[in-house]
Amino acid sequence: MPFTGKILLIDDEAHVRKFLGLVVRGLGSPVTLEATNGEEALRMYAAESPDLVLLDVNMPMMNGLQILAAILQQDPKAQVVMLTSLANRQTIEDCLKIGAVGYIRKDTPKEAILAELTAYISDEPKPADPPAS
Amino acid sequence: MHHAVESISPSSLTSRKILIVDDDRLNRRILAAILEPEGFQVTEADSGEMALELYPQITPDLVLLDVVLPGINGFDACRQLHLRYGPATAPVIFITSKSESDDVVAGLASGGIDYLPKPIRAKEALARIRTHLQIRLLMAEQRLLVDQLSKANADKNRFLGMAAHDLRNPLASIRGLAEFLRDGVVGPLSTDQLDLVKTIHGASQEMLLLVNELLDVATIEAGELKIAPESSDVVELVEKAVYLSNIEASKKQTRIVFSAGEKPVRCTLDPHKIRQVVNNLLSNAVKYSPPGSTINVELGAAAAAFTIAVRDQGPGIPESERHKLFKDFGRTSVMPTGGEKSTGLGLAICRKIIDAHHGTITAENLPERGCVFLVTLPI
Repeated sequence: MPFTGKILLIDDEAHVRKFLGLVVRGLGSPVTLEATNGEEALRMYAAESPDLVLLDVNMPMMNGLQILAAILQQDPKAQVVMLTSLANRQTIEDCLKIGAVGYIRKDTPKEAILAELTAYISDEPKPADPPAS
Repeated sequence: MHHAVESISPSSLTSRKILIVDDDRLNRRILAAILEPEGFQVTEADSGEMALELYPQITPDLVLLDVVLPGINGFDACRQLHLRYGPATAPVIFITSKSESDDVVAGLASGGIDYLPKPIRAKEALARIRTHLQIRLLMAEQRLLVDQLSKANADKNRFLGMAAHDLRNPLASIRGLAEFLRDGVVGPLSTDQLDLVKTIHGASQEMLLLVNELLDVATIEAGELKIAPESSDVVELVEKAVYLSNIEASKKQTRIVFSAGEKPVRCTLDPHKIRQVVNNLLSNAVKYSPPGSTINVELGAAAAAFTIAVRDQGPGIPESERHKLFKDFGRTSVMPTGGEKSTGLGLAICRKIIDAHHGTITAENLPERGCVFLVTLPI
C-alpha cells in the first residue's frame, strides 16, 4: 500500500531537503513538510504530528540531538531517523540512546535510503539499531 | 615548502657561546686564548656553583668543565645541569688530567659528551669543540624540521578532513538530484538532456567516492581511526552489504552471490568499519569483472578466526604490481570494465581497518581467472 502519511524533513540545507523530498516520493504519496531549523521543526511537529521525521544531526542553533530531545518530549512515540554526513559515531549513539529509531548517511544511494525508510513506515516493530555499549 | 637549512661550515659556528669552568685562572686563560681568536664567545666561571648560576644567564652552546673543583666537582655540576635543563642541556666536555683517566668513564656517565686531557692541545680542542657544536646544531635543525613537518602534515589532514566534509553533502545532493532527473521522476528528458544529466551524475558519483576516501585517509593518518568493537552478527553484516552492492552490480548485469556457511558467526568487531571493508571489496569485484559476471562471497569459520572471501571474475592482479595493491594511491594497470574510476585508496583503507582489528587481508589470483580477496579476523 502506498504510503500517504506525513514526513517532516529537518535540514538547514535546501539541496538536502530537495533530494530527500524526491526520495520519499518513492514511498508512495507522502505529504512532505520541511523545516530549516529547530524552532520551525518543533512548531511543525506540534501542528502536523508527522508519521516520520528525518532530522539532520548537524544543524545551526539547536543541534540535531537537542531537536530530537524536544520532539520526543512532545511525543514520546515520535519516529525520528537521524541524517548524518560525517561518521560522528558518538553523536549518533547519543541520538539512538535517547530514542531516535535509526540513522542514515546522507551520501547513501537513494535506493538504499528508500529501503531503510520503508522499514520505518511499515507496521512491523521498528528496527532500531541497539546503541553500542 | 622552502625551508632554509643553515649550512654547517666552521664559520657558522663562530660567535657560539662557550662556558669555561676551571678554578685555575691560568688554565681558563689558555682555553680562552685558543677559542677567542676563532670567534667563539667565551664566559669564565671559577667553580661549579658559579657555572650553574651563569648557565641560565648566558645559555652557552657548549661547556668546558674541569673535573676537580673546590666546591661541587665537575661531575656533580654536570649532573645538576642535566637535571635542570634535560636533553636540551649544552654538550659538556670535561677537562681531565692524564692521571684522572679512570674518571673519564665516570664523567661520561654523569652526562658529559667528551673529554679533553690536560695539557690542552689547541688543534685537538678546537676539532672536538667544533664537532660537538656541529652535532648540536644539526640536532636542533632536525628537531625543528621534524616539528615543522609534523605540523604541516597535521594541517594537511585537518584541511583534507574539513574540505571533504564540506564537499560531501552538496556532492551527495548533486548526485542524487541528477539521478532523479535521469530517471524521469520529474518528467521526461530528451536524449541530449539525458546524456548531460548522466554525465553530471557520473562525475558527481566519482567525486563523492574520491572525497570519501580522502576523508578516510585523512582520518587514519591523523591517528583518528578508532575501532569501536561490539558483538556483531557477521552473517547479517555481510548479507546487508551484499544486498546493497547488488543494486550497483545489477547495472552491469553482475550478480553477487552470498553463501553464509553452516553456523552463525558472532564476533566482536567494529561493524561499520568491517562493513566498509566488505563494501569496498564488493565494489572492486564488480568494477574489475566483466559485465554479466558472478561474484561469490563466502564466510568461513575456524577455531579462533573467521574468513570473508570475495571471488571475482576479473583479470586478476599482475604479479609485478602485487606490492602496490594495499598501498596509498597504489593503482595497478588493471582497468575497470565499465569506465569506473579508482582512487587507489580503497584497499589501503581496508588494510588499515583490518590491521586495527588484528586481522589480515590478502589477495590471490585464481587458477583460471579472477582473484580472491581474503579477510581473516580473529573471533
